[in-house]
Amino acid sequence: MKKQHKKKMHKDEVIVAYICLIPSIIGLIFLTYVPLAAVLGLSLTKWEGVGTPEWVGLANYVKLFTTDPYFVDSIKVTIYFSLIAVMGSMVYSLAVALLLNRKIPARGFFRAVFYLPYVLPAMAVYIGWSWLYEANFGLFNYVLSLLGIHKLKFIASSELVVPSLALIAVWLSGNLIVIFLAGLQNVPRVYHEAAEIDGANAWQKFTNVTIPCMTPIIFYNLLMALITNMQVVTPALALTQGGPGNSSRFISYVMYQYAFKSGKFSYACAISFVSFLLIGVFTVILFATSKSWIFYEGGDD
Amino acid sequence: MSREKSFASKKRHERMADTFCLVLVIVMAIIVMIPIWWIFRSSLMTNAELFQWPPTFLPPNWLFSNYKEALVYFPFWDYFKNTMTIIIPSVLGGTFTATLGGYAFARLRFPGKKFLFSLCVGSMLLPTMVTLIPLYVMWTRGFHLANTYWPLILPYFCGGGAFNIFLIRQFISSIPKELDEAATIDGAGKFRILFHILLPSIKSAMIVVALLLFIQIWNDLLQQMIYINTSDKFTIAIGLSQFKGSLKSDWSAIMCATCMSFIPGVIFYLIGQKYFVEGIALTGMKN
Repeated sequence: MKKQHKKKMHKDEVIVAYICLIPSIIGLIFLTYVPLAAVLGLSLTKWEGVGTPEWVGLANYVKLFTTDPYFVDSIKVTIYFSLIAVMGSMVYSLAVALLLNRKIPARGFFRAVFYLPYVLPAMAVYIGWSWLYEANFGLFNYVLSLLGIHKLKFIASSELVVPSLALIAVWLSGNLIVIFLAGLQNVPRVYHEAAEIDGANAWQKFTNVTIPCMTPIIFYNLLMALITNMQVVTPALALTQGGPGNSSRFISYVMYQYAFKSGKFSYACAISFVSFLLIGVFTVILFATSKSWIFYEGGDD
Repeated sequence: MSREKSFASKKRHERMADTFCLVLVIVMAIIVMIPIWWIFRSSLMTNAELFQWPPTFLPPNWLFSNYKEALVYFPFWDYFKNTMTIIIPSVLGGTFTATLGGYAFARLRFPGKKFLFSLCVGSMLLPTMVTLIPLYVMWTRGFHLANTYWPLILPYFCGGGAFNIFLIRQFISSIPKELDEAATIDGAGKFRILFHILLPSIKSAMIVVALLLFIQIWNDLLQQMIYINTSDKFTIAIGLSQFKGSLKSDWSAIMCATCMSFIPGVIFYLIGQKYFVEGIALTGMKN
């Protein structure tokens, strides 16, 4: 009798669980995994938005890597941008989080200040910054002139456009700060106290206690920042249109142009899939190396 | 005696370090704020004043009338209304479905849980760019929803994103299970437990999710650009890009439009900020 009651309760639980998960399951199937398969499928065909897709095998991929005027360069540009943006924002946000983790007055205010750029709409941010980068009357050139340095063209120069856009990405990385800060507050006090008793100085405490305890969060932030920045497209859409030349023509922007400007959907799918593989490779590398540098408290998990 | 002395010197040392850090934080905060100030001060100046060398840090005359003029060509309120038509249902739907999903993963036992959860976490690693084209084809060819807001809204009713489900799950997991058990003994069903017992305690997590969704939609220029074609449906982001494109060098008006676009996000953030920081900190993020 009691067993039956328990069984019924469990059955209810299962039903409730599936009801709760209906939206997520629909999302996972129809908005995530089926489209992923569809990208691969479409990329093996020739389809420009009308009629039925025609099977062409790997022809799109071959074309991408041999004759496409933009694609190979766009990979280089995207990786270049991601490296600078990820490294820059990791260092910046960890540094700010460390500072904010100290006992300073008005901490909440400062935290809000550093987070603020993140809540501004990206489009407005890029337009605003394009004025700061303006070649003749912009803020940055004014600051440079005060330091006695010649004016630079920033986003209008093919060498500086990527670092300039990466600087905006760093400025926007307030969300990383909040996550780092949460992580820092979880570093057990006792570890610091133990290290202090052993006579460790601030730097030793930082490298031997704080950093190891933070490695899981560093890993998480690194992964998320990488995935976000590898997909970068907004600055090109909002500001540079891939220029000057092809110097800010990111992979996603090339895909956008082929698909939505020229209607070459299947060809653009091939680009999507390559970018998926590329991000996948970086993710796998990160995961593979993570075992050697991530410190898990308690060993398991 | 010497120990006391070393203690005192250590104290002094620490105080110096604290002061140094404070100065550093202030300097960095100023540097971070300067771009926003510069944009704002440019919005209050005439173009003639903007193209002067050396530039001034403060506007010579605070021309708030610039905003009135910019509004003539930049229908901010229409764009704002359109943007909110997308954002409000999306944020509500996303927060609600993420809460349901997070609850199931945190508290309920059911077959296939591990598998579903790994699918969910796996989708976090899947770049949204990748699925863009099939989804576009699905919405515009399959459902004939081109130039409507549906393709931008409906996805948020499907789980609200893996990260947000994960966040809610973490949060619910941190609430003692005894609370549910006590309610079960009192005869409460699983949904009652969620809505009456758990929801009040995960309010801050839900606000975090709502804010994250807000920012995400706010920033999603690409999807808005591919689904919306006519100017009566433009969002702030598209409107701003068109405005910039048509004016090119009327920087004073462009900066007015930019500043106007800043405001809604800032207000939303200031309202939610208290919960926000608390929420993120409480999740612990202990993957």
